[in-house]
Amino acid sequence: MPGIRSISENVPCESTVKADIETGVVEVIDQIIDALTRPLTEQEQNPPPMDTEEKSRIVFKGSLEEVNRFFYRRGWGDGMPIIPPTEEAVAEMLTGSDLPPDHVVTEIIPRMGKATVEKIAVNAVMAGALPTYMPVLITACQTIMEPKTRFDTFEVSTGSWAPCYILNGSIRKDINLNCSSGTLSPGDIANATIGRAMGLIVKNIGGARKAIEDMGVLGNPSKYSLVMGENEEECPWEPLHVSRGFSKDDNTVTVFFPNSYSQTIPMQTDDKGILQAMINNARGGGMAGFLLNPPHTKYLANEGWTREKAMEYVVENAVTNTGPGIPVGESENAVRKVFSDTSCIIIVCVGGPGVFTGILTTAGGGAMSTFGNEFVTKKIELPKNWDKLVAKYRNVIPVYEKY
Amino acid sequence: MRNIDVDTLKGAADMSGDDALFEVLSPWAEADLVPMEGLTAPRLNDLNGKKIGLFCNIKQASSRIQPVLERRLKKRYPGAEFSYYRGQAFSVSELEPQNIDKFNTWIDEVDTVILAIGD
Repeated sequence: MPGIRSISENVPCESTVKADIETGVVEVIDQIIDALTRPLTEQEQNPPPMDTEEKSRIVFKGSLEEVNRFFYRRGWGDGMPIIPPTEEAVAEMLTGSDLPPDHVVTEIIPRMGKATVEKIAVNAVMAGALPTYMPVLITACQTIMEPKTRFDTFEVSTGSWAPCYILNGSIRKDINLNCSSGTLSPGDIANATIGRAMGLIVKNIGGARKAIEDMGVLGNPSKYSLVMGENEEECPWEPLHVSRGFSKDDNTVTVFFPNSYSQTIPMQTDDKGILQAMINNARGGGMAGFLLNPPHTKYLANEGWTREKAMEYVVENAVTNTGPGIPVGESENAVRKVFSDTSCIIIVCVGGPGVFTGILTTAGGGAMSTFGNEFVTKKIELPKNWDKLVAKYRNVIPVYEKY
Repeated sequence: MRNIDVDTLKGAADMSGDDALFEVLSPWAEADLVPMEGLTAPRLNDLNGKKIGLFCNIKQASSRIQPVLERRLKKRYPGAEFSYYRGQAFSVSELEPQNIDKFNTWIDEVDTVILAIGD
């Protein structure tokens, strides 16, 4: 990469306060002039080569507690206890893929770490994942690195955006992904550990360190896990992935990066009331995922609303007089559409019975966006031994105490 | 719990043979080193009489910093001229095909560039 002379100023991060900027510029103006006029040194013109990294595959031996302390102090954790990624545990995790362990699935930003199948498996073990999640994790790695997700922006942004993974296809049932009541709550191993494993992958393979590359101001609990499956069994519409051009028999993961999740109650649960609730709560920077529960989706379908028609209606009618692009003091007269077109939203049928509607909001989307980001859906490839693998782990489900 | 140095692993080496111990693999990935290129843009002897490029990245604070810098530099170098360029999109290089012509035209017009990052 090209070298550059850089000068750190003391203007508070993202501040537009004039006095702060004036002071900050005055403090460094001599350094700026110096950087522009001081002749280049030999080292600046011909920087020495950097030391190559040599890392051991086996990094530690210790008790459960010691392994956890070691990983945490190395910055390889997420604050929760990990399962030790032993040779045996990683070998079992690797049964979830036909690919060789040293196969590089992708390179993950910002340090372009090589996401080999083995490194993905190591992080999956740490997260407590099952081998049947490996196809999802491999595809999720590939998906976040699709340029159209704009992970390069969302990952390092001050906006604390968290990856949201939406699964479609029979794999949801194969891995016992909860798509019904409480889909986004803790308690289901697939929903919890797929997101957790991806968080560790982003950190340990991609090298995104908190407050160094990941500059989220407030942070986001969804970075622990934001994984759901469409409740296809109770959805009257064709599945989300089919509406996005895939075959019904395909398994897919759809990714985007929201930074807030809210829930609302339609004042009426007929089709107009449900759509109005979506419109009234459409906020944010230009993109959103609407989470409709199955009863509400059925109410819409019963009145002739397809997924596409509902999306068009929301895009057409959701307006705001606040937010990006509307200057302070002009909000009363400046009204704009929240979403520029239907590519800026998705509607997912998810959750169980009840009245609540969910909204995940994010930035960018559409022709007017400088982000150029989109929802990205990718097909999940399954290993040849899939049925056998599913049978082995199918019974890993919670059976609650009776009282 | 034994006292282990996380950097040298001192204190962990004598644990082999214990069933309750775990020998663990690294989750940290290999990455190809990106070689650092040297600086090539020549420095100026004096800013007076020169055209100084002020590059604003897309963050809003950047376009607030640069006018202050222009005003302050203008005081010291009354003969200097200034030319602005604004980044086209978040995280998209100006060397990408959709930006490069506009960027190169601007670069050819200026003698030096100051980039203000609005973070």
